[in-house]
Amino acid sequence: MAAEAEDAASVVGKSVMVVGIDDSEHSFYALQWTLRHLFYPAAGSSSPFKLVVVSAKPTPTSVIGLAGPGAADVLPFVESDLRKISLRVIEKAKEICTSHSVADVEFEVVEGDARNVLCEAVEKHHAEILVVGSHGYGAIKRTVLGSVSDYCAHHAHCTVMIVKKPKPKH
Amino acid sequence: MDESKEPVATEGREKMTVLVAVDESEGSLYALSWALDNLFAAAVGGAPNKPQPLGRLVLVHAQQPLQHFIMHPVGPAVYATSSVIDSVKKAQEQNSRDVIERAKGICRRRLRPASMVFCTQQVEAEAVIVTGDPKETICQAAEQMQTDLLVVGSRGLSKIRR
Repeated sequence: MAAEAEDAASVVGKSVMVVGIDDSEHSFYALQWTLRHLFYPAAGSSSPFKLVVVSAKPTPTSVIGLAGPGAADVLPFVESDLRKISLRVIEKAKEICTSHSVADVEFEVVEGDARNVLCEAVEKHHAEILVVGSHGYGAIKRTVLGSVSDYCAHHAHCTVMIVKKPKPKH
Repeated sequence: MDESKEPVATEGREKMTVLVAVDESEGSLYALSWALDNLFAAAVGGAPNKPQPLGRLVLVHAQQPLQHFIMHPVGPAVYATSSVIDSVKKAQEQNSRDVIERAKGICRRRLRPASMVFCTQQVEAEAVIVTGDPKETICQAAEQMQTDLLVVGSRGLSKIRR
C-alpha cells in the first residue's frame, strides 16, 4: 500500500472516480466539493484519483414523451437543444476542473437515462467511487433524495458519494 | 456560482470532518478502512516535510436503547428487574466499547506512517457512542458535529430488500 502511494505519479494503480453531472447547480456543487476536499492542487503532487466526469444526455424521445402528432417535427429541435446543453455542461465542468488545477480528467457525454449511464460508466472504467449530487435538474423539491442518486446508491457496484448542496440558512 | 472563484489553497486540500458510522458488521468496518485508505491516506502524496493535518475523524456507534419490558411473542410480559437491566446495560456498553476499540485499531493500523516516508499526517480518531435509533441519532450527530462527510457501510442487500 505504501509503495503504491509513492508511485502515485504513475497512472497505473490510480483509482478511478466517476463524477456524474447534469445541468443543475447541485451537480456542479458536487464536482467542486469533490475537487476541494479530495484533490490536491497539481503543483508537484498528484491526486490519488483519476477523474472521469460523465454527463448523461437524455434521449430526445424521453424528453418529448409519448409520440403524438407533431412529435417528429419537434425532434430535431429537441435534439439540438439537448446537444447544446450537454456541451455547456461539459464546458462548465472543464472550467471547474481547471480552476482547481486538476488536469488528469476525462470528460464523457453518454446518451441515455442518467441512472443507467452512471452505473455503466462505473463498470466501464472500473471505478472505485461514484460521486453524484443529491438533486438533479428535474427533481421534485419535496423528495429527500433525487431519484438518480437514490438509484445509484443502491445499484452502483462501488462506493457512492452523494454530495448535498447546503440549504441557505434562514 | 461564486465558489468556483475561490483561490485554491496552496498547502493542500480543504480539511474536513469525517464521521464514520460503525457497528459490529463487517460492512461498516470495511467502510472505515476504505475511507482511511482513500480519503486520508492521500497525505503521502503531499510535501513530505510539511505537516498536513487532514481533518477530524469521528467514529460514531449507535446503540439501541434498553427496554424495561422484555416482551415474549407468546406469554406474559416480564418486567425486568433492575439487576437484569444493569447487567444488560453493562453488556451493551462493553459491546459498544469493543466496537469502538476495533474501529480505533483499524485507524491506528492504517494511519501508521510508512517507514520510508516521513509522514506527519495526523488524524485523531475520536469516538462517540449515541443511544437510539441509528438512522436518526447518526444524522443528528452529523448535524451537531458539522460533519463534512458521513461514511456508512452498505449491507449489500439485494434490490428487493432494502
